[in-house]
Amino acid sequence: MGDLAGDRAAEVVIDTRTDAAGVPLIAVSGELDTSNVASLEAAIASITAERPERLILDLSGLRFMDSAGISVLIGATAKVEAVYLRNPSPAVRRVIELTGLTGVLPLEPS
Amino acid sequence: MLAMSSRAGVETRGPSGGSLAAVRDGGWRAPPSTLVGAASRWRPSRVATVAFLLGLLVTAAFSLTSLWLYDRNENRLLRLRAREVGSVLTAVVPSIQTPLASAAELADATDGDQRRFRAFMAPYVGTGRQFASVSLWRLGSSRLAPTAVVGARPALASLPAQARKFFAHAERSPRLNITGVLTAPRPSLGFEFSTPGTRHGFAVYAENPLPKDRRSGLARDSAFSDLNYALYLGHSRRQADLLVTSLHRFPIRGRHASAVVPFGDSTFTLVVTPNGPLGGRPFASLPWIIVVVGVLISLAAALMTDRLARRRQYAEQLTGVLDRVAAENHQMYTEQRGIAQTLQHALLPDALPEFTGLRVSARYIPAASGIDVGGDWYDVVAADNGRLLLVIGDVSGHGLHSATTMALLRHASLAYAAEECRPATVLAKLSDFVNSDDHDYFATVLCALIDVRAHSLTIASAGHMAPLLIDGERGEYVKTNVNVPIGVTRDFDYQETTVSVPVKSTLVAFTDGLVERRTEILDTGLARLRDTATAGRRLAPDDLVEMLTRDLASKDHNDDTAIVVIQWET
Repeated sequence: MGDLAGDRAAEVVIDTRTDAAGVPLIAVSGELDTSNVASLEAAIASITAERPERLILDLSGLRFMDSAGISVLIGATAKVEAVYLRNPSPAVRRVIELTGLTGVLPLEPS
Repeated sequence: MLAMSSRAGVETRGPSGGSLAAVRDGGWRAPPSTLVGAASRWRPSRVATVAFLLGLLVTAAFSLTSLWLYDRNENRLLRLRAREVGSVLTAVVPSIQTPLASAAELADATDGDQRRFRAFMAPYVGTGRQFASVSLWRLGSSRLAPTAVVGARPALASLPAQARKFFAHAERSPRLNITGVLTAPRPSLGFEFSTPGTRHGFAVYAENPLPKDRRSGLARDSAFSDLNYALYLGHSRRQADLLVTSLHRFPIRGRHASAVVPFGDSTFTLVVTPNGPLGGRPFASLPWIIVVVGVLISLAAALMTDRLARRRQYAEQLTGVLDRVAAENHQMYTEQRGIAQTLQHALLPDALPEFTGLRVSARYIPAASGIDVGGDWYDVVAADNGRLLLVIGDVSGHGLHSATTMALLRHASLAYAAEECRPATVLAKLSDFVNSDDHDYFATVLCALIDVRAHSLTIASAGHMAPLLIDGERGEYVKTNVNVPIGVTRDFDYQETTVSVPVKSTLVAFTDGLVERRTEILDTGLARLRDTATAGRRLAPDDLVEMLTRDLASKDHNDDTAIVVIQWET
């Protein structure tokens, strides 16, 4: 199956909720890559359908994100005016920095 | 992985739930018919037949052994019984001899007193007693006849020739003498005893008729009721010498034993046959019990073996089917991967052009597995004024969509480079070219303009990691602004940086497959690349590419990698 599947099973857990201030929030934890970005895309689509002004992506549990994951985050910025990242791990923050996206995917203002 | 698991979901919903059904539902070749239908006609498997025959063989061996043991035991028992009967017969001799001997003594002492003789013998004679007839004979007289008779008249008295011959022998014999079987006037057997050593003495002669047809059964409660017997006079087994028997049929067939018993001056030959098994019924039927039980066990063993054999056969066939499916899958996978890689290589430059003063080497390394086309690319093309332009990029995601986007970006960047080779301009035009509203993908692109003679390098990055520049001693990533990737925003003002390049420097541009690892921060991978490449800075570009591929290229199944190494010859 290993060869056939073509990749290692990366696990991602996506939790959609609304934070205390009523802002929609998607918590992403685990590893986000090509094999499972579709689930995050679906979660973002379900929220952006209601045209919120803000969206918080809680990345505190996200250990790894590849370019496909970044692509989905960028996709969110096109649909929601203000997309903020909450607590990205140093590894994820570095990926965003090195991809020149700190301006596109800003941290949540404290 | 998602695709695979959803497929697995479909499979488990197969109607029978059996993996075989699932395989067939999956569109695979149906397994051999023997697997599916209970075979139309049942035939035992070869191994079951062998098991059955083996069982029968063992049964037969046991049964025959038991039969042989039974037979041996019966023979032994019969021999013992014959000896016992012989002993009983031997014990009869004194009971005959003693009264006759006593009477002979008496006759000698009383000179043949008839009255006293009769008085002495009377208790021994009569129906149900020892003798049917006892007579006293004076030996040596010219006319041989009994002088006194108790009971019936002896048959010997009417057979003068036989009597003479008998007494001629008897008077010299100090033992109990026995006549042959006397046939007339009735079949009888006679016994004689005369006092030895006395000339012209007396002989006492007793006679008993033989039973009618010589037949006499044994009482049911007798100790020998389990035997039939035949008693012959002398060593003979001739019918003429038969004295008495309980048998109906002659000659004697089947199991029999004989014993020779001395009797006076003659002998009796005793032949016994068993009425039934002497060792008991259960022992006699043991061979048959073994046969029945053995056949049943063999049958059961054969059925079980057959069942096992069928199960194993089924499992083997199933394994065969699964192996074939796996092999087909593997083949399809290999084919598709081959197609993907062919396509990928078709999208990349065949060979890099030659540049004066530079040595260039590049390589694309497909993902370690998987059938998708990747999105990494590179180009090194000649620009104006002896300069050259390096473009390396990575379209997010995989598959045909990424690959076509990659091809699009690659050719667009070549076209823009031909118009105006400033890296920031190339990136800005690329960014405008890509519909930034369509956010299905984005691409990181590094554009570098290399002036060989001026020893300068101008780079602009759209989200792409800066290249590594190694001078004679150390390697450092070129410090530059990393702008947003292509496909994120339009009308972005891309920045570029120009650095001077020391003599004999080496430039290493790459995509993230070379440095990205799931378990570590990117800086770790970047440091590893810097150290590895710096250590190999004296290698020719081809060898450096080879080393980096071997040591650093992603082992991650999904990540492809591109490497470009440019080395200043001076």
